[in-house]
Amino acid sequence: MTRRENVERQEFAEERASLWKLTLGPVTWAVHFAASYSLTAVWCAKLAAPQDDITLLRLIIGAGTIVALVVILLFGLSAWRQWNYTQTGRATHAFGDAENRHEFLGHAATLLCGVSFIGTLYTAIPVLVIGSCT
Amino acid sequence: MPHRREGIEIFARKPTAVVAGAVFAAFGLSACEGPQSAFGATGADAIQLETLFIVMLVGAAILWVAVNGLFFYVTRVHTTSISRRLANGVIIGGGIGLPLVVVTALLVYGLSIMPDQRAEGDGLVVKVTGEKWWWRTEYQPLAGAPVVSANEIRLPTGSRTTFELTSERVIHSFWIPKLGGKMDMFPGRTTVLTLEPVTPGIYRGQCAEFCGESHALMAFKAVVMEPDAFDAWLEAEAAPIQADPQAPGAEIFFGEGCGACHALRGTQANGAVGPDLTHLATRESLAAAALPMNREALAKWVRNPETYKPGVKMPAYDHLSDEELDTLAGWLMELK
Repeated sequence: MTRRENVERQEFAEERASLWKLTLGPVTWAVHFAASYSLTAVWCAKLAAPQDDITLLRLIIGAGTIVALVVILLFGLSAWRQWNYTQTGRATHAFGDAENRHEFLGHAATLLCGVSFIGTLYTAIPVLVIGSCT
Repeated sequence: MPHRREGIEIFARKPTAVVAGAVFAAFGLSACEGPQSAFGATGADAIQLETLFIVMLVGAAILWVAVNGLFFYVTRVHTTSISRRLANGVIIGGGIGLPLVVVTALLVYGLSIMPDQRAEGDGLVVKVTGEKWWWRTEYQPLAGAPVVSANEIRLPTGSRTTFELTSERVIHSFWIPKLGGKMDMFPGRTTVLTLEPVTPGIYRGQCAEFCGESHALMAFKAVVMEPDAFDAWLEAEAAPIQADPQAPGAEIFFGEGCGACHALRGTQANGAVGPDLTHLATRESLAAAALPMNREALAKWVRNPETYKPGVKMPAYDHLSDEELDTLAGWLMELK
């Protein structure tokens, strides 16, 4: 294997990884969403009467939300570094070479993490204002 | 001369557009009043929903004006090239920041009033069963036996009444727009709705789920009363019939077998296929608000119900003479 092949292999390996990275923010949002709703459904169907206080459930979802937000933030920071905007100032990646692809995937992952952060926050807003299963 | 032609065409179209706009506006405005409008709400729940609508409308208007205003600014007002800083400000501020703030505020507000819409009732329970195409009702006060009636809802002000809703055969939906939101009625299942009327008056309810050929004619009057007046009405409603069961009209009623389908408490008529008629004449409308409650309408209805409610189960009594129908209707009007 020549040195050049080696370098390309490394590049592709990284891109395979960052394709997965693209999904990490939305997946965290999806997991948080599914967990919050299914936990609430089970809690209200099996554990609590309609008018019962559900402070414990709210605290659990609140804690889960903080964890999800921190995780999304970390993924977002990693993607932001991959985008490398502060160094290059590039918001478009028109050339399609390895460096461009690398930055583009970081750029897209950053934006997806932003959307996921907001989506996760919105999923959790009901626990701030709703105090019972009704 | 393409410009001139264009101008003429636009000019020619204008009156049509104005007329169409006016017609739409008239339709729109005509829906803003009357006993079945969700505007001018008279129940706690409907008042809250009306406020929610206004708040959402204002939020949407702010967003629309701001986002389109920015778009207008960068495409029509500031048409020369703009700095990256300004561009980012417009896109991130107007496209992400502003919607985020407005939608979050609306979401928090909307969620915060959700539990109020599902508040528990204060005691009085009204069971309503959707039939094709009328409403079977049963009042269950805290004290006293259940009272069976039909095709009208009476409610006291100042307390929250619970509705236990179900249906006989198809899905219906129970809705009194002036008082609150709607709730579907399913065969074999009970759904619960609570309403808290504020202002006495006579409003209109309507089946809000298509349920067959007479769906549009499946309505009812919702009479909101002061608590004392309501208690007096319920007491009267619980009593057996007040009309003379030996009168000529009663003879026609029993002779024609009306009692096989309709109940008159205090007589041998105990049918449950059709609406209970014990206090028929106290109701504000006939045939689930398809007709007014008067002698003429009653006679016409009995002669041929199909005319006024296609698909109705009640057969026509067109073999009765005008005189007999009038006598029967006159006696029915005594069922107070």
